[in-house]
Amino acid sequence: MKAILSILVFFACATAYAQPKYVYVGLDYNAPMSNKEWIGKGSARGIRAGYRTFITDRISAGIDIGSTAIYEYKPTRTIEYSSGAITTDYFNYIYSYSAVISGQYNFLVGDGDIVFPYAGLGLGANYNEYTQYYNIYTNADNAFGFLVRPEAGILVRFGTRRSVGAMAAIHYDYSTNKNAEFGYKNFTTAGFSIGLMFMDL
Amino acid sequence: MRNYLLLLAAALAFAGCRPEPEAVELVDQMVVSTNYDNTADFSAYSTYAIPTDTIGFISETSNDTIIVASKSSFPRPVLQRINSELQTRGFGRVSKNQNPDLGVNVLVVNDFNVFQDVVYPNYYGGYYGGYYGYNSWYSYPYVQTYAYNTGVLIIEIVDLKNLTPDNKVKVLWTAYMGDVYSTIELERQALEAIQQAFTQSPYLTR
Repeated sequence: MKAILSILVFFACATAYAQPKYVYVGLDYNAPMSNKEWIGKGSARGIRAGYRTFITDRISAGIDIGSTAIYEYKPTRTIEYSSGAITTDYFNYIYSYSAVISGQYNFLVGDGDIVFPYAGLGLGANYNEYTQYYNIYTNADNAFGFLVRPEAGILVRFGTRRSVGAMAAIHYDYSTNKNAEFGYKNFTTAGFSIGLMFMDL
Repeated sequence: MRNYLLLLAAALAFAGCRPEPEAVELVDQMVVSTNYDNTADFSAYSTYAIPTDTIGFISETSNDTIIVASKSSFPRPVLQRINSELQTRGFGRVSKNQNPDLGVNVLVVNDFNVFQDVVYPNYYGGYYGGYYGYNSWYSYPYVQTYAYNTGVLIIEIVDLKNLTPDNKVKVLWTAYMGDVYSTIELERQALEAIQQAFTQSPYLTR
């Protein structure tokens, strides 16, 4: 808790100075990397948004939040057990929400006022709702996990006199989120985001 | 700052969209679950009795205890399909006063649920459209009542050949098929579900 408070105080102090800062919002595609038997398909039903501020010319930090849903249809099959069997088709869904505190190292390109490539790391938490729909019935469970998100991306302003620009990033999310019922020892995805950013210089 | 708020609002609005399967895709086939007494030797039984045009009905909201063919088109095809499946597996149908080895019970169990929710008109993504007294298009919240029906079609095969000393029967096989209240085509789906129940029970044969 002390560490989190220290980080928040640090951000508050940093943003008190007239440092460049930006917000972004983007669509987020995620492909599952863990327990692909349950859900193996990627999904573009995600969104990310964040606020970041430059602490120095090269270092920025901020907060990122995200929401995504990955899902897959499992055709009808019969599962047998010792005293019987069940036949149905399933719709497996994971609704995933994340929040991280992130830091970026921004590489200098040209005059450093149009293009901002960066590499960064986010640390935070992830909350998953594991849901299995079949007919009118539902099996569901949820869990929290610690989230680590290495990321590389680029910001491009649409002009030196314009604050609006585009953002793109690739990221790898590893979360300790586990669920025995649905076979998750961890929850890992790889994805990319594209969106808009508004920079306040 | 306005841009920031617009972005935040867009993000929240999108995050509120929670994809779910289409209802039509969910209910286009029933879930079929079967259980059996794995100590039973079904080849030791040869005859069974089953009603012709009546199936049982258990509901917390209705006084009816049966569904009859004169009032519903549902019982007769259901009973005929079960009859056909049993005969295909080598069992012979007899009337119930001819000492059948097995008895077949068919029933629908209905569960009626009611729940309530408070609805806030003009409530979008976490923000009210106005406040009490400040805005003419603010509406007071109200309570909305929802109700839904669920139902399971059940087939039970009981052992009439080996009654317990206190005249009780043992259930040898059960099939649960649902939901019968949320279907696209009830009769077709029910008949397919019955066929599947027998298909996934290969031990149920003479």
